[in-house]
Amino acid sequence: MSNKYYEFFCPVKVIAGKAALEHIPYELTGMGAKRPMIVTDKGVRAAGLLEPVVSACEESGLEIISIYDDVPPDSSTSVVKDIAGIYRNEKCDSLIAIGGGSAIDTAKAVNILVSEGGDDIAKYSGAGVIKKPLKPFLVVPTTAGTGSEVTSVAVITDTKKSVKLPFSSSFLLPNAAVIDPRMTLTLPPHITAATAMDAMTHATEAFTCMAKNPLSDAYATAAIKKISHSLLTVMDNPKDAEGRLELAQASTMAGIAFSNSMVGLVHALGHATGAICHLPHGLCMSLYLPYVLEYNLETIREPLGELLLYLDGPEVYAATPSNRRAEASISSLRKLRDELHKRCKLPRTLKETGSVTEDQLETIAEVALDDGSIMFNPKEVLLEDAREVLKRAWA
Amino acid sequence: MFAKHIQPMVFQARRLYVDVMFQVMGRALQAVSEIDSAVQAEARALPDGFLFEMMVMPHGSRLIVEHIGSGRLHYHGDKAPRPIDLSIQFKHIAHAFLVLSFQEKTSVAFANDRMLVNGEISYAVRMTRILNRLETFILPKLVAQRAVKEYPKSLHLPEKLISAARIYLKVATNFVETARAS
Ligand SMILES: [Fe+2]
Repeated sequence: MSNKYYEFFCPVKVIAGKAALEHIPYELTGMGAKRPMIVTDKGVRAAGLLEPVVSACEESGLEIISIYDDVPPDSSTSVVKDIAGIYRNEKCDSLIAIGGGSAIDTAKAVNILVSEGGDDIAKYSGAGVIKKPLKPFLVVPTTAGTGSEVTSVAVITDTKKSVKLPFSSSFLLPNAAVIDPRMTLTLPPHITAATAMDAMTHATEAFTCMAKNPLSDAYATAAIKKISHSLLTVMDNPKDAEGRLELAQASTMAGIAFSNSMVGLVHALGHATGAICHLPHGLCMSLYLPYVLEYNLETIREPLGELLLYLDGPEVYAATPSNRRAEASISSLRKLRDELHKRCKLPRTLKETGSVTEDQLETIAEVALDDGSIMFNPKEVLLEDAREVLKRAWA
Repeated sequence: MFAKHIQPMVFQARRLYVDVMFQVMGRALQAVSEIDSAVQAEARALPDGFLFEMMVMPHGSRLIVEHIGSGRLHYHGDKAPRPIDLSIQFKHIAHAFLVLSFQEKTSVAFANDRMLVNGEISYAVRMTRILNRLETFILPKLVAQRAVKEYPKSLHLPEKLISAARIYLKVATNFVETARAS
């Protein structure tokens, strides 16, 4: 009997493509919601991305009751409490998150408070604390990377105790993710590159880490194919709506993959580096990805070699001897990083970031070792291993 | 309740085995933390008085250890003196049995959603590394390679502790074989 076992879960309706935003009123009224609140950030408003959502709703007679557009990049418990207060005062009955990881996580946490009651979000921290469905909730991602629209977790900083509170429950998942190419069309080049590499890392780690399974594998490989196909095209032609949609879909697919199979050492190092050096998450992912794959190489040779098909296409795959495919996958990713560096200076080493000093590596290694993602890395990581990977990623 | 009538022996034996194995692991965790510097280094990052529990849902066997300072762990049996800080809960006794009979690695069990973590995740990561280390001590190399991700290059622990624990392992292996045959 095989000892293999897995679980796969994704109840999020995906609404994707041309004029997807115009489906929002139908979806919300279908759930009995009449008074939606939008949770977003200043960047989204400045980029003019609020307007198409609001007019899509109002044209259909669904009035947006309240707009909170001040979510900070690193959201906190007090922000969550404030938004929940406005939601209650305005008698809202549903939420629409528009933005990247922070806006989405904030809206997830707000949904806990307005559904479960109270002002103290810390009370609901942890796994499985929430036992019943929350208010109707839609997500409109504006970066093609985090995949937060299909993950059942949220992280909010408790400013008083200066700790990060994790929330995890399948009830945090939105009812629908609305993926409209208009929403990522204006994303600046370096953010396009970094967030796409975050999605690429989600898919690669999902396909090579411990909890990989046939269903997450299918999403992961499809996401990798889309990203390798479209990323450079979009970098050269930012207004390419079709390519933008491909990247946005890939991000959601990679999100579905990794939320069902977890991520590994790239994320552990990335979380640590983000916390210590305040570098954007996607940038850290792009930076560490090849070095971690090299570290894991002998443990993941087979699946990594398989990825060459999706990274470089059937011709290259067929022309590469099977015992060289894993290495070829790594060089393909390195090549992609070189091309991105050419186009938008996306750093490839810690030194190139200009915001990390060599004496910080020890702390990064220590913090990474405490990160939950390290548990699912296919190869055991000890402190000296983390140090070694960081040394190679330095320059 | 129906199942109980069908295979009473197997169920009872499995419960007994998980009970015994929790006791073995509890004692072994304490013993290993008194000798092994790698375990001490991991445990030192836990707060003093930190209580760790492993249990079977909903109200099954439990094992409770406390970090009493300087990386030392103390085994409390199945009674906690205070509220637990970190709890690892198996969803079903069958899953606990898979892990405790070394048929499924602890990290794989996490990955497979066999158990839930209640508490700070960074402490759970540490406790998993300590459990991995412990398993490499208790188990012969061949079995250990199945139970943990990587087998350490060097191990130093008194033969007495190892052999005591391995007696249980023998019980375990026999039991797995009997259970599989039935
Ligand atoms: Fe990520």
